[in-house]
Amino acid sequence: MKEAVIEFKDACYGIDGREILGPVSLEVNRGETLVLLGKSGSGKTTALRLINGLLLPTAGEVAVEGVSTKQWDLVRLRRSIGYMIQEIGLFPHMSVGRNVGLVPRLEGWPKPRVRERVRELLELVGLPPGEFEDRMPAELSGGQRQRVGVARALAADPPILLCDEPFGALDPLTRSELQQEFKSLSRRLGKTVVFVTHDVKEAVFLASRIALLDAGRLHFLGTVDEFLASGDSRVAALRDLA
Amino acid sequence: MSFFEYLARNQGEVAARTLEHLWLVFASLSLAIAIGIPLGIVLTRKPAMRGPVLGFANVVQTIPSLALFGFLIPLPFIGGIGARTAIVALVLYGLLPIIRNTYTGISSVDASIREAAKGMGMTDAQLLFMVELRLAAPVILAGIRIAAVLAVGIATIAAAIGGGGLGEFIFRGVAMVNHAVILAGAVPAALLALLADGGLHLLERSLDWRR
Amino acid sequence: MRVPAAWLLGLLVAAGCGRSDAVIVGSKNFTESVILGELVAQQLERYGIPVVRKLNLGGTLVCHRAIVAGQLDVYVEYTGTAYAAILELPPERDAARVRQAVDSIYRARWDLIWTEPLGFENTFAILIRRKDAERLGIRTISDAVRYAPSWRPVFGYEFMERADGYRGLVETYGLKFARAPSTMDLGLTYRALAEGIADIISGNSTDGQIEALNLFALEDDRNYFPPYEAAPVIRAAVLERYPAAREALRQLGGKLDEATMRRLNYQVDVARRTVPEVVREFLDQLPR
Repeated sequence: MKEAVIEFKDACYGIDGREILGPVSLEVNRGETLVLLGKSGSGKTTALRLINGLLLPTAGEVAVEGVSTKQWDLVRLRRSIGYMIQEIGLFPHMSVGRNVGLVPRLEGWPKPRVRERVRELLELVGLPPGEFEDRMPAELSGGQRQRVGVARALAADPPILLCDEPFGALDPLTRSELQQEFKSLSRRLGKTVVFVTHDVKEAVFLASRIALLDAGRLHFLGTVDEFLASGDSRVAALRDLA
Repeated sequence: MSFFEYLARNQGEVAARTLEHLWLVFASLSLAIAIGIPLGIVLTRKPAMRGPVLGFANVVQTIPSLALFGFLIPLPFIGGIGARTAIVALVLYGLLPIIRNTYTGISSVDASIREAAKGMGMTDAQLLFMVELRLAAPVILAGIRIAAVLAVGIATIAAAIGGGGLGEFIFRGVAMVNHAVILAGAVPAALLALLADGGLHLLERSLDWRR
Repeated sequence: MRVPAAWLLGLLVAAGCGRSDAVIVGSKNFTESVILGELVAQQLERYGIPVVRKLNLGGTLVCHRAIVAGQLDVYVEYTGTAYAAILELPPERDAARVRQAVDSIYRARWDLIWTEPLGFENTFAILIRRKDAERLGIRTISDAVRYAPSWRPVFGYEFMERADGYRGLVETYGLKFARAPSTMDLGLTYRALAEGIADIISGNSTDGQIEALNLFALEDDRNYFPPYEAAPVIRAAVLERYPAAREALRQLGGKLDEATMRRLNYQVDVARRTVPEVVREFLDQLPR
């Protein structure tokens, strides 16, 4: 049974009268991984930021759990959404443990429970807590940092995860390792994921469905199989690159 | 009479003037921090205010202290003669480094860190206190250190307006053409400046999240 | 190659000392002293003597040390200041005796010559607001004694510290004030008096501010303050090198009375004219 968790309804975004995105209409269903695929400047990051209210649509609307982001208390909305961006998003002045436990702490969880959750999550992303909990982000490798990012996004057990090219800066080996772990983790936990990337291979590997954005417009929306079989010239051009 | 003889004979007054001096610096620095940090924060939120506020603080820095005292004398509440007027002047001199460093420190926080903080659902206040101020702390503290050393030096001019402090010895010594008396004010003031600089430097390093 | 460094050093020395054969004229850092320094400089120039100006130095201390060290050739000092503040001799009321004493000691100790006094005396003046003087009908320091207990005194550091300053004044007149005097910068005390934050201050008798700020100088009816005659102090070596300087300075002797000095101060402090201009005008009207 399909249930739309996130809905774009003719959503547009522009600054100073210049359209960056839209109008776009699409739905993200519970438990699926939708990949927003596109080149830089295609509007994919803008689309992602419309979901957690870092941007508000200038026309149309974006609804999460049936409520427009314009109606949401944005702090509440964002705490129910895990957010991952490239490695630098870790707070450099907080230890790994404090980074991961941040949202639970903001949510006022009791200390022992936060700590338990942090250890559980570090375990989950393959970083032994005993070794990593007290390290500072600067002491980690790129892959380790990104694992911390995954753990932090999952910390308060949000039903939705937004990911903006989280693995973009990693070496190919680490990247594919993390992609695999991420895929099995998000499926296992039943998360609804919106994942932004410009990497067709990554999109094909992770996605349940792929949305292809170009110059702010939605050009293709379909399952991976449909994507692979599509006769659309833009899709084909991208596919050939991969 | 040599400097050390003078010092030995006037220990009591040197100690009392040093305390007065410390009070001038402490009071003015506290006020400058209480005004300067919030103002610096406001500047990061309201870019339109940046020019006027930094411009004002800059201009104040260039006013010679005696001239500034001259302006302050006729003002009600904050003016007149005595320590209060001196503290007002010291606050005005201390504002620039604190405002500027607060502003610079916060605006040099990486945009993606700010984005991550917001994306994780931090309120504006949480973003400010848990992330921005914490990351800017070493830079802000460096500004406070500059203001403190400046205040220790300029506080000697407080004696020009009846504000007491170690400047008493300096002005008196100049009037009496007596080196020993000048040094009785200048040497403790220099030591205070070194102490303030060293102490705040240590604090600065302990707050540095780079390491 | 060290040439650029040597060249730079030469430039610095030239900038610092000016022409090595020029007479270096100094002054203290208040208007009257600057005017007198400029006066000496222009007068020497009129006699064809090259001059370098180092006006607006620090106070008495700086000028005295500089001239003793040979970094200054001439500046205008007050006999009383030299007598009390530099030589630290006990108070003396007789102007001629003061002048004699400083002249012989300066000559013997430092090879410095006091030339003819310029003609005015600058002494401490006890000042109150003119409207207070008129309202209370007082004219002398003795008249002020009965009102002083309700007054707030503010004095400069020099006045508080000098043997011929505050302590002797209150003793001589039996003055008592509302509270112990605040001590502050001399220039600011005028302002404090005019603004009503102080009620009695000590200033310089020739100061242009007295007129400008509508202040009143109480008469020293018990002749407590020693007379301070202004006169150039010059290094003997300079007089040997430039014999004309002797004549140039002699010509200034007795040419500036108290009223004239106050007028020149007023021109600069209140009328905001430049010092060189005011001095040139004054020298132009002197008979040659």
